[in-house]
Amino acid sequence: MPSAQPPDPMPPKPSALTFNLLARCSTTKARASLLTLPHGEVKLPIFMPVATQASLKGLTPKQLEDTGCGLCLNNTYHLGLKPGQKVLDAVGGAHKLQGWKGNILTDSGGFQMVSLLHLATVTEAGVEFLSPHDKSPMLLTPEHSISLQNSIGSDIIMQLDDVIATTSPDNARIKEATDRSVRWLDRCIAAHKNPESQNLFCIIQGGLDLDLRRQCCIEMVARDTPGIAIGGLSGGEAKDAYCKVVSTCTDMLPAGKPRYVMGVGYPEDLVVSVALGADMFDCVWPTRTARFGNAVTDFGVLNLRHASYAEDFRPVEEGCGCKICLPKDKGGLGVTRAFVYHTAAKETVGAHLLSMHNVFYQLGLMGRIRQAILEDRYPEFLKAYFQKLYAGEKSKYPDWAIGALKEVGVDLLQG
Amino acid sequence: MATPSDGKATDDDMFKIIKTSTNALGPRRARLALPGRRAIETPHYLGLTSRGIIPHVSQDNFESLMDVSGVYIALEDFIERAPQKVPAILKFARQRPVDPLRRFVALPDETLLVVGARRTPPLAAPAANSNTNTSVAISTAIGFKTLKAEDYAEDVELLKPDVVIGLGDIPYERALSSKRIEKAVDRQIQWLKDHVTSRQQVEAEDGTSCKLFAALLPVSCANQQYYIECLTGEARDDIHGLAVYDLETLSDLPESLSDLPRMGFNDSKTPHDILRNVALGIDVHAVPILTIASEAGIALDFDLSRQDRSSGILPLGIDMWLTGHATDLGPLAKGCTCYACTDHHRAYLQHLLNAKEMLAWVLLQVHNHAVMDRFFAAIRQSIDRGTFDADAEVFARAYEPQLPAQTGSGPRLRGYQYRSDHAGETKKNPKAYDAFTKLDTPDTVGTPDEAEVAALTGSIRPAEVK
Ligand SMILES: [Zn+2]
Ligand SMILES: [Zn+2]
Repeated sequence: MPSAQPPDPMPPKPSALTFNLLARCSTTKARASLLTLPHGEVKLPIFMPVATQASLKGLTPKQLEDTGCGLCLNNTYHLGLKPGQKVLDAVGGAHKLQGWKGNILTDSGGFQMVSLLHLATVTEAGVEFLSPHDKSPMLLTPEHSISLQNSIGSDIIMQLDDVIATTSPDNARIKEATDRSVRWLDRCIAAHKNPESQNLFCIIQGGLDLDLRRQCCIEMVARDTPGIAIGGLSGGEAKDAYCKVVSTCTDMLPAGKPRYVMGVGYPEDLVVSVALGADMFDCVWPTRTARFGNAVTDFGVLNLRHASYAEDFRPVEEGCGCKICLPKDKGGLGVTRAFVYHTAAKETVGAHLLSMHNVFYQLGLMGRIRQAILEDRYPEFLKAYFQKLYAGEKSKYPDWAIGALKEVGVDLLQG
Repeated sequence: MATPSDGKATDDDMFKIIKTSTNALGPRRARLALPGRRAIETPHYLGLTSRGIIPHVSQDNFESLMDVSGVYIALEDFIERAPQKVPAILKFARQRPVDPLRRFVALPDETLLVVGARRTPPLAAPAANSNTNTSVAISTAIGFKTLKAEDYAEDVELLKPDVVIGLGDIPYERALSSKRIEKAVDRQIQWLKDHVTSRQQVEAEDGTSCKLFAALLPVSCANQQYYIECLTGEARDDIHGLAVYDLETLSDLPESLSDLPRMGFNDSKTPHDILRNVALGIDVHAVPILTIASEAGIALDFDLSRQDRSSGILPLGIDMWLTGHATDLGPLAKGCTCYACTDHHRAYLQHLLNAKEMLAWVLLQVHNHAVMDRFFAAIRQSIDRGTFDADAEVFARAYEPQLPAQTGSGPRLRGYQYRSDHAGETKKNPKAYDAFTKLDTPDTVGTPDEAEVAALTGSIRPAEVK
């Protein structure tokens, strides 16, 4: 006869994910792990493409799935506008809306309020802004951000934070924003209706002030959210300052939780940030840049709208395994640079082809990174990556990357 | 070895008429089978491409989400710098002579590729750029140009499509005076003869060449008598099909040309037009309404064999812009089994259009082509049953004469969709946004209006004044 279990003295905070740390680089702080979310497993480190308005730049959810993507972003600000919360509730959330079987992460909407709507100000209540229509004052509260994300039904939701530019010279304001973000996290946790099906991540703030970042880490970690984001970066700060913040934070964070650096997506930034101990990244850049004819490759970014590609009959990236680049006899389409040139800026298909390649590239890069970590050869991977990217010209390696990697035991200039 | 039974064709039985009507002008059933391609049961339609692809349909989606048997490709989409500069596609063809056009546009092996000089429908050239005895006016990405008849013949043979439409002196959008017809007839005869001669050289070197369909002038056969005599006489063995630009031409088509497949390039704007074309014996139809409807946000919804006539006159399509679809989880069209209808729903389409996301046009293209596939399948069954005339009559009464009017905005107009007659003309569709496009906003997001902001902020009360 089953006996009643005694109540757990310290019940763990509800979480809708499991995080398995599989390997750590023996030199850098890089980690490889497996994150299990409500809509399936994803392998970390991961790059998450951004399907801002529940659509990824003309790709079908099926095409996105075919690139190997299992976790993408939607933006709360945009979905709140279109189709709006009522519609989201009626159709049963964003997965249903876009027919996406994988996982979704949403931001809080606050960053876009601040960056898109002029004259937004932040008070203790929330983000205040003037209606762009009649200039009447409006307000986005932590509670409403969570309510919207509950309606969206995303697998990972983000707290509303008080975002200010890392380049702000106002130290008192940065401190205020950091403390307020902690208070808002408490309000978000209290407002979150679905902790058993949606994972709320906190967001570490603190500008470029490392002490403030450390304090913020302590406060945020104590609140025991299923995952942790490092926020307020990629806003134009110097890259070495960015690296110091990421590295300082990852030193303070528990090993058993995923770490997400928001808004990062350039390949160099990804490989370095992983070495600094970060696991998750997102950026609109790879798909947005596709619209301008840019292909992301191991050899740098190629602008296929340039006339020099008009008669270039090689694949977008030689050796790439994406559907676009793979030759016909290997099951791909065998699309040439010349064909992309032929359609770029003239037909939407030109952008679709490059979006597919670029997303595949970003996901493939993370896969290669992960494999290198699992085989404990990440330092070698880093060296080879920079070597290829700069065609062996070490004098062109960026100082910030050399510096940041030196801090974690990799000397790019050696060997 | 490919045999007709596994869907691939051998050279001898390119066009087999399965059922023909008792009168010369009437619906007929046939099979068009070209070596290595999927055999096409006719009547059927061709997907119409822009720069080598069906607009909004990347080649992987073409392969996995659609069932389009053949496409029409316009040479004018590839030769904007010619003749000063050898077009990339011709250089490609010289470097990789195996099936070069197909490899360049990356379409599947089984897809029938038909090439002509002009797009369908073409952009009519301004009067100043008219055809000459040795060239036609074409519209390219960088404006109107001339294409020499001899270059056309050489280029298309190099590209090796399955079917090439002979160059036609077709005065798009303009009526032909009798003097002009005379001139056109002379040109057609000359161009055809020259093309045939150049093909004989290609064949001597290569052993193969594509099928040549002769372009007929958009007048009755009697009005182009010398050309028709050339086709029925000395050129008869050199042509494998006919391209028809006006149904009038079929009215007195000589018996000796009746066993040739007929491709229709008259501008059919509705399924009613298509049925009329079928009724007069067009076998393969160029159908511009598919992309037009998709870009207008309209999901086609018609069916030759639909039994339900209870709801009065039916619309030919559904305007997906209408906000009434916002929470509708049903398919775009009832009973449709296409990817857009099975994996997605009206609510998503409405959202995508409203949010100006490119995926809307992708999904509409997938759906609209599926509707056309079924429409032609029903046409063929109807002919097989011998009930086509009656079915077409019922259809004409059951459906609205026109597609629903467009209410939302489509994609940015592309160069081939309008003619810049005046220098310094303003942009065709101005940007709908300006002030609020920064950082993370999608490229199409506009200034949110009050209702949208209220929707976003929902429970938000006006901020307290401190
Ligand atoms: Zn690729
Ligand atoms: Zn459908």
